[in-house]
Amino acid sequence: MDSKEINHLLELARIELSSQEQEKITLDLEKILDYVKQLQELDTTGVEPMTGGTSIQNICREDEVHEQKENDELKKSAFNTEKGYFKVPPIFE
Amino acid sequence: MIKELHQKLINKEITAVDLARCYLNTIEEKDKQINAFLSLIEEEKVLKQAEQIDEKINKGENINLLEGIPFAVKDNMLALGTKTTAGSKILENYESSFESTAVKLLKDQRAILIGKTNMDEFAMGSSTENSAFFPTKNPCDLTRVPGGSSGGSAAAVKSEMVPFALGSDTGGSVRQPASFCGIVGFKPSYGTVSRHGLIAMASSLDIISPLTQSVEDAEIIFKVIAGQDSMDSTSLNIPIDLDKEKNKEFKIENSVFGLPKEYFQKGLDDVIKKKVEEAIKKIEAQGAKIKEVSLSTSLYALPCYYIIMPAEISANLARFDGIRYGGVKDLKIENLRDLYFKNRGKGFGPEVRRRIILGTYVLSSGYYDAYYKKAQQVRKLINEDFNKVFKEVDFLITPTSPTLPFKIGEKSDNPLAMYLSDVFTVGANISGVPAINLPCAWENNLPIGLQLIGSYLSDYQLLQAAKLIEKIII
Repeated sequence: MDSKEINHLLELARIELSSQEQEKITLDLEKILDYVKQLQELDTTGVEPMTGGTSIQNICREDEVHEQKENDELKKSAFNTEKGYFKVPPIFE
Repeated sequence: MIKELHQKLINKEITAVDLARCYLNTIEEKDKQINAFLSLIEEEKVLKQAEQIDEKINKGENINLLEGIPFAVKDNMLALGTKTTAGSKILENYESSFESTAVKLLKDQRAILIGKTNMDEFAMGSSTENSAFFPTKNPCDLTRVPGGSSGGSAAAVKSEMVPFALGSDTGGSVRQPASFCGIVGFKPSYGTVSRHGLIAMASSLDIISPLTQSVEDAEIIFKVIAGQDSMDSTSLNIPIDLDKEKNKEFKIENSVFGLPKEYFQKGLDDVIKKKVEEAIKKIEAQGAKIKEVSLSTSLYALPCYYIIMPAEISANLARFDGIRYGGVKDLKIENLRDLYFKNRGKGFGPEVRRRIILGTYVLSSGYYDAYYKKAQQVRKLINEDFNKVFKEVDFLITPTSPTLPFKIGEKSDNPLAMYLSDVFTVGANISGVPAINLPCAWENNLPIGLQLIGSYLSDYQLLQAAKLIEKIII
């Protein structure tokens, strides 16, 4: 894994790291990927992937309208709110 | 233990206020050394709840089994009136905005929440050293880790700071700390307990699980927290008639226990092997049939887990943006992009960042089929292997951990060595089956745990078997 690839992953995951931290994480990831590589030993041709933790599927509820009150609790931990909105720095310059 | 405390309350041998005070005093006395708690409920609030229960008892009213029984909750479950940090800097200022279903169900029984316990950040770790705040120590030996990620809950129960606690188990995070601390940790079948209000780590593997002093207590808690919940679409309505189950007496001599040979081979500490085999002999002496079986694909459960789990983490932890749940204080922010990158870079610790990046990698285009899809196919094979073996045997017996509790700092620089702590526990999460840790022996004052695994949704049968076995083996 090279620094270009690590930078791309950090970009996708929205994480800023120092160059020292980047070096460390690259080494760790290489070791982990080397470890998980052993899955390739198993023949999985034609095996249906197991996509979740349960066999139940498509649980649907009635499509009903419910009144939901404004929940101030949901916003009380945010550092910056105004008039019931989250306030963030500029997106476009 | 819960039934004994309940009897003492209704016989008026002890008041609910005294009971709560007794646990609060133990916390005061012991937690300075152990560091099991991240936050405590104000004493006044705890005692007020206890007073109300005493009034009921004095008036001659009936009380629930859990009424007035104090408990603790791992800090990744929301409880109104508490902070929920998940052991992370990025949630250091997050006040629970609603009640998690499991906590609500316990509060409905008027059990008394007294604190939130320490954990590896976002439940990622096997030692509780990955907490952003401080490590927790093992009450059996203060130089050693209590296991993880529910290490705070395990240490709190072991040192009798609470009679029971909730943890969460994604790859062994309740059973392994229970093993390291010498208590019971029960991971129910996936979907039997609502995950609503549990901060998601890997949604297809996570399950809220009790940590207790006995199997009977684990069963009491499980009966309260299990059940379908409209807030968690993967939660199940367990088709089990509890009373009928209770009347059906479990007989050990009618049961077949499987020993998966792959779990007794390389990587297992010799002492643990010897002690678990001795425990198995005791079970056999009671008339149980013991049979060697093979779970050949289960050797791949850990590498499979280290693809599926980080993939789900990278998606679940995308919500922590530094905006909605608070974030890292005093950052110099220029624009929105900067806010995301700095909050997530500084707010997440090294292990969390490692797993997010790993998950991002295995899901990214070009690698998806080779890693993520492959792991899902292997998961299917492992699941089929478990289904097959449970046609031959009723339960599986394995060691819970391959090693004794290790020293604080011993593995913290080697992520892969730490990951191997889950090698025997992770299979139950991958296939969704129930499993329980039972203390089975001691070596130099360090506990050794035996794991009993049952088939999917055999939770009550597993608990009945475990109740008998816990008395036989220790």
